[in-house]
Amino acid sequence: MYASTYSPFAYRPQVADVAVYGSRWCGITMMVRRHLDRAGIPYRFIDWDLHPEARDQLEWLAGGRIGSPTVTIGGQVLVQPSLRELDWALSRAGYR
Amino acid sequence: MDSHAGPLNVRPSRIEQLEADFASLAPQLPDSAERKALSVLHGMVQELWRIQVSGNARQVRSGPTIDDIVDLHEHAPPMEGDAVNTPLAVGEPAPDFALPDANGRTIRLSDYRGRRVVLAFYPLDWSPGCSRQLDLYQHELDEFRKRGAEVMGISVDSLYSHGAWAAVRGLTFPLLADFNPKGDVARRYKVWREADGFSERALYIVDENGIIRHAQVSPKLQHVPDIYELFSALDQLATPKAA
Repeated sequence: MYASTYSPFAYRPQVADVAVYGSRWCGITMMVRRHLDRAGIPYRFIDWDLHPEARDQLEWLAGGRIGSPTVTIGGQVLVQPSLRELDWALSRAGYR
Repeated sequence: MDSHAGPLNVRPSRIEQLEADFASLAPQLPDSAERKALSVLHGMVQELWRIQVSGNARQVRSGPTIDDIVDLHEHAPPMEGDAVNTPLAVGEPAPDFALPDANGRTIRLSDYRGRRVVLAFYPLDWSPGCSRQLDLYQHELDEFRKRGAEVMGISVDSLYSHGAWAAVRGLTFPLLADFNPKGDVARRYKVWREADGFSERALYIVDENGIIRHAQVSPKLQHVPDIYELFSALDQLATPKAA
């Protein structure tokens, strides 16, 4: 009997969940989403025009000031991050 | 007295705004261990901020920096409003035009036969939403090229404004100056806002034969068209068939 050397669950580095909150029509939000697309990083996009309730907790986490997009990476909250800041936060969260 | 010709007004940063919020709350907190803990945390944040700023070469500033110019749109007066136009219909020939780009070269739409063209009408250089829209397209040039499409921006700004704006934003695709007669091309594409003196935020996709294959006017000036929908519209164009 041979042990399988392949399993889809064999090794997964621990990485944090990524969520992008913002408006679908917002240019910065699209830049952030496309940046994550290109990097192959899975994320949830929450259109806060359709889900305004999603803003409450974000406002608490971000000192009451949020903007589109607000990105959560595990416990990190980034309000309108530059792509460089986004990469830095992703790196801290175990991506790449 | 209001001044309209003063130095560049650099607005408070986010950390400075939060700092002001914190300061305004402090007097409302009664003396307690919690108040002291908040104060300690605030002190730590201040220290971290100081370390970061002191490591920054830009700490000594004698005036606005190039980054202030790049970020000017973030604090520019808002540009908002509902669309007032309906674009030309899909299937119509795209009106030809000849407009100068930022380098003074004349760009004719008819010179692009055989290629797809994404015409991005936008209200003005330096305005809030436009900055991000064209930044986004710059990042996606490879995606447009994969789909056989060239991108062009069009606004009523002069070629000199286009040149400065493209330089600070790092834009390499053509920005066309619909400057004289002002807005003439926008009028012919039915995206002119007479009351404002600039165009709608609007997209046209013109196919290899000069026919409009996609037309949209953003419902609000500040709404940047969905990039995923734009890619999808390009993907849905029939692949040119060999004769």
